[in-house]
Amino acid sequence: MKDSKKSAGNKIAGFFKWIGRDIADIGVTFKEGDWKTRLSFIIMGFGPLMRKLYARGIAFLALEIAFFYYIITFGWGYLQKFTTLGTQQAGWNDAGLRVYGDNSFLILLYGLLTIIFMLAFILLWRMNVRENRKEELQLKAGHPLKTNKQDLHSLLDSNFDKTLLALPMAGIFVFTVLPILFMICVAFTNYDYNHQAPSKLFTWVGFENFKNLFSFGTAGFGSTFFKVLGWTLIWAFFATFLNYFVGMAVAILINKKGVKFKKLWRTILVMTIAVPQFVSLLYVSKMFANDGLINSYFMKWGWIDSPIPFWTNPMLARVVIILINLWVGIPYVMLITTGILMNIPEDLYESARIDGANAWQMFRKITLPYMLFVTGPYLLTSYTGNLNNFNIIFLLSGGGPQNMKLTGGAGGTDLLVTWLYKMTVNDTNYCMAAVIGIMVFVVTAVISLIVYGILPSVKDEEGFQ
Amino acid sequence: MKKKVLSALLVAAMTATMFAGCGDKKTDEGTTPATQGGSAETQSEITDYGSGDIKIWVADNVVDFTKEKAEEFLASNDAFSGYTVTVEAVGEGDAAGNMITDVEGGADIYGFAQDQISRLVAAGALQPIVGDYATWVTENNDADSVNATKVGDQMWAFPMTSDNGYFLYYDKSVVTDPSSLEQIVADCEAAGKNFYFEINSGWYQPAFFFGTGCEFTYETDTDANFTACNMDYASDKGVVALKEIIELASSKCFQNGSSWDKATDCAAIVDGTWDSAAIKSGLGDNFACAKLPSFTGSDGQTYQLGGFSGFKLLGIKPQTEEGKAAVCYQLAQYLTSSEVQTARYEAVGWGPSNTEAQAADAVQSDVALTALREQIPNDVPQGNYPGDYWTLATSLGDTIISHDLNTKTSDEDLMKTLQDFQDTCIGYAK
Repeated sequence: MKDSKKSAGNKIAGFFKWIGRDIADIGVTFKEGDWKTRLSFIIMGFGPLMRKLYARGIAFLALEIAFFYYIITFGWGYLQKFTTLGTQQAGWNDAGLRVYGDNSFLILLYGLLTIIFMLAFILLWRMNVRENRKEELQLKAGHPLKTNKQDLHSLLDSNFDKTLLALPMAGIFVFTVLPILFMICVAFTNYDYNHQAPSKLFTWVGFENFKNLFSFGTAGFGSTFFKVLGWTLIWAFFATFLNYFVGMAVAILINKKGVKFKKLWRTILVMTIAVPQFVSLLYVSKMFANDGLINSYFMKWGWIDSPIPFWTNPMLARVVIILINLWVGIPYVMLITTGILMNIPEDLYESARIDGANAWQMFRKITLPYMLFVTGPYLLTSYTGNLNNFNIIFLLSGGGPQNMKLTGGAGGTDLLVTWLYKMTVNDTNYCMAAVIGIMVFVVTAVISLIVYGILPSVKDEEGFQ
Repeated sequence: MKKKVLSALLVAAMTATMFAGCGDKKTDEGTTPATQGGSAETQSEITDYGSGDIKIWVADNVVDFTKEKAEEFLASNDAFSGYTVTVEAVGEGDAAGNMITDVEGGADIYGFAQDQISRLVAAGALQPIVGDYATWVTENNDADSVNATKVGDQMWAFPMTSDNGYFLYYDKSVVTDPSSLEQIVADCEAAGKNFYFEINSGWYQPAFFFGTGCEFTYETDTDANFTACNMDYASDKGVVALKEIIELASSKCFQNGSSWDKATDCAAIVDGTWDSAAIKSGLGDNFACAKLPSFTGSDGQTYQLGGFSGFKLLGIKPQTEEGKAAVCYQLAQYLTSSEVQTARYEAVGWGPSNTEAQAADAVQSDVALTALREQIPNDVPQGNYPGDYWTLATSLGDTIISHDLNTKTSDEDLMKTLQDFQDTCIGYAK
């Protein structure tokens, strides 16, 4: 623990040192540079252009022009309002027509985009300075510079990685990074159904939403949040490990010598995979409903007097969900483990048998350690996957039953992620949903990092070599 | 999931701005619409209506009908020749959500259930109805439906139907006396059939509370901010109502639901006119309707179940162009006129809000509409309720269905639950 703290401290110190060195380097470049380099500090790409590296020079210059064009014509207007997210609310003119004012949503979005572009521009500028320095040093040392043709050609050769990754990176930025940053920002605003752009403005509220999440008053989300979080963790635990052990048991059972029709059993189990999950889940959900097949037949046969509240009693609903998930999940685990079980060296069992070990001992000392070693990473991913297992919960119980003791429309079987979904779609409470989204990330990240560290396959990579 | 929603929003927003650009920012002081001298007056001066496409959202089963009528309307006047209509199927429930998420990309004219009106006004998704149009609406529609179009004193939509209430559908061969809740339950239990009543819905649930004489309304200002809540659920009357819901939920024949399509072994269901055709074909000769039953409360008195009488409305999205706004006003007016309401009743059976259309013989003799008409005197015209209320009501209903509140729960605990419920509801009005 002490070591890791120390290393973290070192990293931070190292970072500042690096920044200091970098700034010093910029100074040196300016001091020792010729007039071409110095002018490049303002007109990017000027140096390379004068040194006849047109491709690089034009690229730098074009990007600089594009950046300033963007800022002046578009970005600055949004950036200016970024601190308030707009002050001019939409209204009506004398003719009774709508006049839209500031759109907080767009201000937040494009303001964020502009800030990111500005950071990118600083990086680009630094690249431009470094490029000049490099060229100068190269010329001083008497080496010729690469020709334009070589430069362009390198994009298909030594720099081919950059060419290939340009498009995916842009895609990831627009569709993943920007929305995530946007969502994080939304968590610090009051963007909800009363503050809906473009007709209404929303604004920054600091940590107000986080305070609300951890407040335990009647209207606060505190107790509900921890209840939902608790069930999320319990659900993920059972969904992962019950499936794992029962699936493994089934696989061992089918693998056993002397069991006939092995392929038939496997096929029967795999049939559940063949039907699309959401179809079977919706069907099963209806089957267990108060007026569903199971209850009505039980009542018809006189086994029960009133319907068993499979979905309307929170405790029972949780148990039923875990059991149904077992039915859906076992075949997958069985398929995975069957292969691994066949890989365990038979001589291990043979020597164990000679030493007089019984079946349970062999399982505990040979099979289980081996399985855990190989499938450790799978267990971790399936645990984190189950933390966010939207499908099963939403299709089976819809997160219900709700309860007067839970705020924010949460239900007894709601996971954080289904609660978040309801909050966005039903209540358009985007700011609280964003806060929950951040909490989901924190929970998943913390659990993954801790468990990853103690996985046998990570700690002892050569354990079973 | 959130990520997906957001990226969808982002894409939508980006597309929206491509078309919208950075329009000028002239804005009137204040947010309340000009009630006098509005577009109704300027409308007569317009000669050039311009051109464009008018997008309409209506429920799936009236898409063709609406398209036909809207096109007839545009064809009737040469001045509208520049306009085309696009009619899309967006249910009354979804329309509000979609409009709120993206006002600028939403439909110009859209149908919605009245319980959504405050949400829509709060999100700025409705154009106010002023001047001559407001007068026309007031003069031609029944008073309750006119009230339903108002938030504060301001009118925001054209009433389209006056049939959004619920009553009892039952199977004549099972239910012997539809006027008594106890009898319905006994008959259903004896026959092993189900009785559907969606008590975890904020819309059906008040039937009991209003039945025992409880009050629950909100007051709103013109911006659809809830300013006050009149509510007395946390009273002896409220406890009687809550006990009756618990009593009903404890019966083995009780099922929570209000959709005939999803019901099984159903002998009685509390439902609205929209399910009328389906139930009729399901029950065949045993099909019957009645107003909601009465029940004997825990205090020994008899109460008639109440309910909400609701309305379907047709709203106009806030318009930025004068010509298009005028066309939208006139088109919406036409689509809710006596002539079209009568035709709509004939086509899909929607009960009209227009007084002239209501007087028609066919409407007067409709079984389901008759049952609804008998129920309406016991109903409370549905006003505006905050979005959170509906979620909260589901929580209360679920708490009963899961037997967390049951016949053994003490009166104090019931009162405490109702007090919490009431406090939360009052808390929505700030």
